[in-house]
Amino acid sequence: MSQENMVDIRDLEVKFYTYAGVVEALDGVNLFIKRGEILGLVGETGCGKSVTSLSIMMLIPPPGKIVGGRILYKHGSEQGNILAMSADSLRRLRGKDIAMIFQEPRAYLNPVYTVEDQIGEVILVHRRKEILQNAVSNIEKKLVEDRRLVLEKQRVRFEKQKAGNEKDKVKLEEPGALLEKEVSKLTVKPPSNFEVGIYERLIRSPRSRSVAFQARFSRKRQFKKELRKEVVRVLRSVEIPDAERVARMYPHELSGGMAQRVLIAMALSCNPTLLIADEPTTNLDVTVQAQILNLIVTLKNSLGSSILYITHDLGVVAQSCERVAVMYAGNVVETADVFETFSKPLHPYTRALLKSIPRPGEPYKSIAGIVPSLVNPLRGCRFHDRCEYAMEICRKTKPPFLEVKPGHYVACHLYGGLK
Amino acid sequence: MTNLLQLSNLKKHYPIRGGVFQRRVASVRAVDGVSLTVQKEECFGLVGESGCGKTTLGKTILRLFKPDSGSIFFDAPEDVVEEIIRLKQKDPRSRRLRALRRQYDVATYRGVDLQSLRRKMQIVYQDPTTSLDPRMLVKDVIAEPLTVQGIAKGEEAKKMVMEILERVGMSDRALYRFPHEFSGGQRQRIAIARALVSRPKFVILDEPTSSVDVSVRAQLLNLFTDLQREFGLTYMFISHDLSIVECISHRVAIMYLGKLVEYAVTDEIFHNPLHPYSQALIASVPIPDPTRRRKSVPLTGEVPSPVNPPMGCRFHPRCPIAMDICKKKEPELLDAGKEHYVACHAVNSLTET
Amino acid sequence: MSLKKRWENFRVGMRPRIAEWRFMLKRIGHSYLAVAGLLILLAFVAIAVLAPVLAPAYSSDPFTVPQDRALAAVTPSPTPPTTAHIFGTIDEQYDLYYACIWGTITAFRVGVLVVGASLVVGLIIGTVAAFYGGILDEALMRFTDIIIAFPGLVLAMVLAIAFPQSIPMNLSMVMLAGSFIAMFVLLVFRPDRRLMLVDLLIIVFSLYSVFSFPLDVKLGLSQLDKVLLAITIVGWPGYARVIRGEVLRVKNEDYVEASRASGSSDFRTIIRHILPNSMYSILIVATLDIGSIVLTTAALAFIGVGAPVNYADWGQAISRAQNWISSGDLIIKNAHVFVIPGLFIVLFVVGWNLLGDALRDVLDPMLRRR
Repeated sequence: MSQENMVDIRDLEVKFYTYAGVVEALDGVNLFIKRGEILGLVGETGCGKSVTSLSIMMLIPPPGKIVGGRILYKHGSEQGNILAMSADSLRRLRGKDIAMIFQEPRAYLNPVYTVEDQIGEVILVHRRKEILQNAVSNIEKKLVEDRRLVLEKQRVRFEKQKAGNEKDKVKLEEPGALLEKEVSKLTVKPPSNFEVGIYERLIRSPRSRSVAFQARFSRKRQFKKELRKEVVRVLRSVEIPDAERVARMYPHELSGGMAQRVLIAMALSCNPTLLIADEPTTNLDVTVQAQILNLIVTLKNSLGSSILYITHDLGVVAQSCERVAVMYAGNVVETADVFETFSKPLHPYTRALLKSIPRPGEPYKSIAGIVPSLVNPLRGCRFHDRCEYAMEICRKTKPPFLEVKPGHYVACHLYGGLK
Repeated sequence: MTNLLQLSNLKKHYPIRGGVFQRRVASVRAVDGVSLTVQKEECFGLVGESGCGKTTLGKTILRLFKPDSGSIFFDAPEDVVEEIIRLKQKDPRSRRLRALRRQYDVATYRGVDLQSLRRKMQIVYQDPTTSLDPRMLVKDVIAEPLTVQGIAKGEEAKKMVMEILERVGMSDRALYRFPHEFSGGQRQRIAIARALVSRPKFVILDEPTSSVDVSVRAQLLNLFTDLQREFGLTYMFISHDLSIVECISHRVAIMYLGKLVEYAVTDEIFHNPLHPYSQALIASVPIPDPTRRRKSVPLTGEVPSPVNPPMGCRFHPRCPIAMDICKKKEPELLDAGKEHYVACHAVNSLTET
Repeated sequence: MSLKKRWENFRVGMRPRIAEWRFMLKRIGHSYLAVAGLLILLAFVAIAVLAPVLAPAYSSDPFTVPQDRALAAVTPSPTPPTTAHIFGTIDEQYDLYYACIWGTITAFRVGVLVVGASLVVGLIIGTVAAFYGGILDEALMRFTDIIIAFPGLVLAMVLAIAFPQSIPMNLSMVMLAGSFIAMFVLLVFRPDRRLMLVDLLIIVFSLYSVFSFPLDVKLGLSQLDKVLLAITIVGWPGYARVIRGEVLRVKNEDYVEASRASGSSDFRTIIRHILPNSMYSILIVATLDIGSIVLTTAALAFIGVGAPVNYADWGQAISRAQNWISSGDLIIKNAHVFVIPGLFIVLFVVGWNLLGDALRDVLDPMLRRR
């Protein structure tokens, strides 16, 4: 696990301009995700965790606008400030380098297309060339195989005739000549040269309109077969039993757990370096949740991607995350290693959150007050009205996000930075 | 302790109709023979995953659905209940049985009896956003049971509403507002106020903390325990969140595909689960302590559909210790000691020896 | 409780709803088109209210258009606008200005009455069908489908012509109608099978007596009334279908079940929970329909089925133009006959359409806000 930061969010500010007023959803969020780690983003409803994840993909819907900050992405084909990227670069980024899965899986699957079609679509957008090349190479392999078969047959016949009766003066042909008749008798029907030609032209000039037009009229059998194979392979990698049958199903026929696996398959089909999981297991049963969590961790280990796991369930965070970032009312208030966070939480909100987890036999402790409205947020630290350690300065100035201990960042006036 | 509620072999099936004549081709066996007792002033936890029928069971007890067979006894004397159960087995057609059932068996209530029952049994729904009419003022929402039951009207009703609002921790200013102006936790309090305004004896809490934030859950749990003490309520707490059920319930029952698999006192169930499903379920709950991480997945596979439950024990396709008998015969719910009921052939055979 | 206290309670109770309406009006104010629509309609309302001032009535029935006898003696053809007749006259020298001014009131009457009646009928049938489901739903919806199957304008025309000039009635008919209404009410209040059986017997009996006793009382229907009745009959199925969809959606919401859990009767549930939450889409359709109903009446009047000859109605005025636009220069000469009332109709319909659109834009986010 390299120490390098793969995604570095600095001072991200997002505002929503609604009829009820300007909602200051994110107020200077600082977050970084390292390569190959699972970062848990914890917070309650309205704290801005989903908005943060959507900002990384630049998918904030209007009336929202990103009004400040930078998101540096330091890996893969596209690098630099995501907020300043062109639309083309973003399109190349989304799905291929950064993928996302959501809370209600069936809402994110188009009900009129099969699973195969939807995963195929994602693969096609990013890995079309690869699939075409696979198709071409498989066709060539098949042609070579066919030729070899025919040659073999001819050779056998040649041998037989040579060894057999001289009376059967059948015209002997050289084993090298390829008979059209033999080829047509083969049970495996090789694709026509037209098809191979289309594939090669598509590989060479993927954006050419005339090629695309011609491609429409060919049956592209091999290509579809390759695509289907790839889809089934991806489905098998998320531990879906009987993947071929599931590939042909429609989303409404899938259970919640299966649908979430399909979404994960879609997200991972292009080997992204960052997977953003926005509460993927919240709506699932607890046994299925355990399965999916295990799956996500296993896949992360095998593919080497980083995962940003957004949730409000501290149990899930403790079970699967390596680092934790806690958000409150549009700010990240604490970031630390998971063991540190649970054993020595520094920020008062984190402490209160951990204390409020109901434990049998103990009285239930909650956090006084309610989550503030972000339309007219409090000045200074946004938690000060519910904080038991609030001081004068908390009312006036916003606390800076400082590294208090190595690897442990807190935004609170109680703590100074590392000297 | 006396029993407030007793269920005897309660069943609720939903027909699936197909074909030109809409005939009943199959049934969703949502609740398929549940028997349990709930004692006065206790909190009874009902746990299970999606499709197990716990919400259907709760709503059937409340007679929001009509049960297909079985009995529900609410606040009925012990001896009457015993007699009815005995008569059902021995002489199902006797006139006395019918008369007794009409009087004591909630499953047969109609009309006026049902109306008076509504006053004593209430429900708090999972999602407060959809369970409160968005076009009604909070005052009217809470006063509705009073108006409908004829308990109070006008000024008197308003006084009772204000009283109950204060008890659930909300100010008077909430009266003349719409529900959508409040946060999730506050809306749930309004729903609780509505359930309690008619001073019921029994309240079904259908996943009341699921749609609410983590920090507010503790507040609601405190509220539930306080109200239970103050009003002498009996709860049935339906949830899929085992950690909360462990905190608040006195006894817990676990359901799977329409049947009870285990039920006992909370401590027993969580520290000594006997049924393989209970064990897997409890092991699946993520513990908020990174030093205690699970090593493997407790349970594989998916919950089968309640339309065609597996033959024999319903859990046998996913059970790690399934035996031959589990595929053929359904296990009975038997006492494995200390009032700890389990429905598993493996456990039952052990207790018999 | 004293009257003053009651009023106080009512006022306080209405405050949040008034706040909502103000929010709604603010939203409408943001859109230029909506404001334009509102202004157009307000102008028409002003005209309708001030009609006796703007165009004083000439006879006891203000809806009869005055005729200029002097000019009529000279020529029957329409005359273009002059100082005496501001908008000119239609044939037989009926004053166009008067017709247009009082036609505004007719338009409002036609629109509001017809839409109101179809709305009520469609609401009742759609709600009962959706709420009770099953065979009742099937039966009512098939009945609705039958009416929709007919082309609307044609059916309206046929009905308007075929309605008798007066409806013969007797006590049995009253009893029949009453028992139908009682059956509906029984279904909605409390499906009590024994009472329904009794009611069914009463229906059968009154059906028999209708045909055996003489029908002596006659209820007169004016020409315009017949048209209105026809359009109502043709119009209610649309509303029934829309509201049935909405009620089906609302029926499954938690708060409806919660209301049932509190012990509320079916009728109360429908009135207090289902209708307020499902009515909005149908209201939007209704406002749009007011404009289109006026168009329909104008179309029927053009065909010849409509208000009597000298009735103050825009459609009537336009239909009189038929005979006077047979050639090119006649069209130009008599343009005022159809252009001016036509303009009135267009503006009226546009006004209602804009208002309906504005309502839809406003109510949609408000519903989603919840």
